[in-house]
This record gives sequence, C-alpha cells and structure tokens, in this order.
Amino acid sequence: MNNVAFLFRTAPHGSASGREGLDAVLATSALNEDIGVFFSDDGVYQLLAEQDPRAILGRHYAPTFGLLDLYDVEQVYVCQRSMTERGIRLEHITIPAQVLAPHDWQLALAGFNVRLSF
Amino acid sequence: MDVNPAPEAAPTALRFALLVTGPSYGTQAASDAYRFAQAVLAQAHVLSHVFFYQEGVHNANHLVAPASDETNLQQAWVALAQTQGLRLDVCVAAALRRGVCDAASAEQAGLSQWNLAEPFYLSGLGQLAEAALTADRVVQF
Repeated sequence: MNNVAFLFRTAPHGSASGREGLDAVLATSALNEDIGVFFSDDGVYQLLAEQDPRAILGRHYAPTFGLLDLYDVEQVYVCQRSMTERGIRLEHITIPAQVLAPHDWQLALAGFNVRLSF
Repeated sequence: MDVNPAPEAAPTALRFALLVTGPSYGTQAASDAYRFAQAVLAQAHVLSHVFFYQEGVHNANHLVAPASDETNLQQAWVALAQTQGLRLDVCVAAALRRGVCDAASAEQAGLSQWNLAEPFYLSGLGQLAEAALTADRVVQF
C-alpha cells in the first residue's frame, strides 16, 4: 500500500477544489487511515472557523474536516509560513493539526510516496 | 518500490494510475494526461486506473463537438480505452453536479438527456482511493 498525502493549496470558496479534495480524503481514509493531509498557501483558509458562504451560494463544508479526527486520520499538517503570511494563528484553526516550519514540512511530506493536490 | 534489479534483469513494467482533473477543452491538463497515457503504454507499462475527477469529468461528455480540424479528446479517450481494454472511471458526484450523466442516472434524476457511455463509467471515489493506494506511480493532471 502506498502512503498517500493530500495537499490542500486553494481557498475553500471560489473553486470547488477543496471540497472535492476533502471528499477524496474521506473516501481514501475508509480504506487506509495512514494518510497525510497538508494545508499550505491559500489552503490554510480551509480550516478557519466562522465561515459563512451562503451569500455566495456556497456550501459550508468546513465542519466536515472534523471527520478526519473521527476517522483516525492523525497526520494533519499546516504550513507555518503560509499561516504567518496570512495572519492566521493556531487558535483560528478548527481541527487538531500540527503546525510545521518549512524544513519539518518538507520532511513530513517526504514520508509519502503519492501526493494529490487540491 | 526502490528495488534495484540485477544488471541483466529485464526492466519491470510499472502500474500507473492517472488522475485527470482538467476539462477536455480549455486547459491543457487533459491533453497532457492523454499523451502521457499513450507514452506509458508505448513503453510497455500498465495503466491500472484512469480516473476523471473535478473538471476532468467533462472528458466523458460525448456531446462535445470541436471544429473538424481539432482533436476530439473525448473520442480519443474512447479509442484508446477500446484499443487497450481500459476502463475509464468518472466520479459520479462530480459528474452529476456538472451535467455529465449516463442513461441510468439521467432516468433516476428525471432528466430526458444523457451524455456519458462506455468505456466511461460513473464510479465512486473508492476507485480513486484504490488507485492512489495500490498503483506503482500516481500522476495527477
């Protein structure tokens, strides 16, 4: 079995990429919980609390990220540099996650031999 | 997978899984995926999975009608799949949201038209998960 990393690099609204990536993560976690979920660039916005996309006809799917914990997906990482660039702090993040500095981020990512980007 | 074969051993065929997330026209992603699929097969490797997700589901729409001197990528996928005996999996949720459906799902949704047929198949994300977990190489376009 491969170790699969899912990279979230896009904002939660404006495109469906994040939502469809989350669906892919949950489907894969049903077969193997040894997967990694990485948030960087605008992907760090996926995890913010207090989203309300109703005004743009969007779906509020951020709470669904809470299923990662329920499905025993424990390797959840957020890029510290991307957070700092955007003024996001750990208390803004709604799910259990490890914040990694660039070097540790690269080390964590190197532990996976398949990477899918959303 | 980092196995060093003995010097005289024949190169081993790899099982490639492709994830196609770009449409049949408008960006280059799906064209690249198709050309890569041909290259994989030309080098005697195996295409274990071809999965269409996100905007990639548009590759399955047989109602596309490009100009006569342009590539019809939908037909190119069909020809490749029929020649090679491939199954082309399309995420059912992503497809239905984007107006790509087969006869059965159209009937179920009360729609009078449908635009997806074999060798494209509406499948669940479990197929993508299996592809990502089991292929020797997973390449996303």
